Amino acid sequence: MKLLPRVLISLFFLVGASAQAVTIEMNVNGLVCAFCAQGIDKQLRKFPATADVVVSLEQKLVAVALKDGQDIPDAELRRALTNAGYTVKTIERTQTPIAELRERLKQSKP
Amino acid sequence: MSRWFIALGGTFALAGYMSVMAKPIAFAGGYTVMAEYGAGTMEELQFFYAPRYDFSFGGGYLKLNSDETPETDNITYARVNYLAHRWNLDDAQANIFVWGGLGSATGNRFSGTVLAENAGAQADYETRRVYASFKTDLQRSSEFSHRIDTVQLGLAPYKHDYGGLATWFLVQARQYTGGIHRGTESALLLRLFKGGVWVEAGITNSGKPQAMVMFNF
Repeated sequence: MKLLPRVLISLFFLVGASAQAVTIEMNVNGLVCAFCAQGIDKQLRKFPATADVVVSLEQKLVAVALKDGQDIPDAELRRALTNAGYTVKTIERTQTPIAELRERLKQSKP
Repeated sequence: MSRWFIALGGTFALAGYMSVMAKPIAFAGGYTVMAEYGAGTMEELQFFYAPRYDFSFGGGYLKLNSDETPETDNITYARVNYLAHRWNLDDAQANIFVWGGLGSATGNRFSGTVLAENAGAQADYETRRVYASFKTDLQRSSEFSHRIDTVQLGLAPYKHDYGGLATWFLVQARQYTGGIHRGTESALLLRLFKGGVWVEAGITNSGKPQAMVMFNF
């Protein structure tokens, strides 16, 4: 009888962990020059939660891979992009691993 | 050669292209180093640090050589740059920068060192395929008043992406006031950049070289 609650609690945490976002995808305005966009990478890598950063001018996309179980508040992300000189349109948390996103971006190139 | 310039300039004008130049502010916490050689009439070196995305400060050295008279002026200055407005659009970015500074100048037409004042502005518009900019830069003192106005129009043969090599072809028109160069100096330029390194080189309508290198880090 004592086993069932333990299993349920474990399952709850497992489901919770698997639902944790692994990547933050941001749609960004003004992203036209790679030389000028260097600051995006530098600003986002300052966060301890950042594992990797991907920038795509073609898709107007900036993606941050998160370290396990960590996140970055939206306000901090917007501030970082403003400091880099850009405007964030949308922020979305996804389960897409950054390697898969990179591959998708590579394939979408004209 | 001049027919080539007119044709290329006309193509850009007809297409309604307006675009960008090197920006004096990188990003918050970023440094910009720039060196330019302008066809024997101007040489400039600049270094800026940006504590904010819309503000930077630093200094520069400008040497102006007249191709009409033996006049040479050397100006060393401290300068602040301000991003007056930025438009971050879906497929473009446009900016208005203004700057001002103070420094000292020496020259071969006057003795000693005089106070030099610097003021300027830049407007630019850029997409991934077209680029246009206008820059005006004034250096004045009790002994001289030099203004350099520069227009650049550019076209990229392909859309570059982050991490890749960007290639731009540009036409430039530059006007000097203050006895440095008579008339408008035109140039055809090739601009390449990758990562934080920007290189630009070309030739003017009088066959003189022009080059610029810039680093953001």
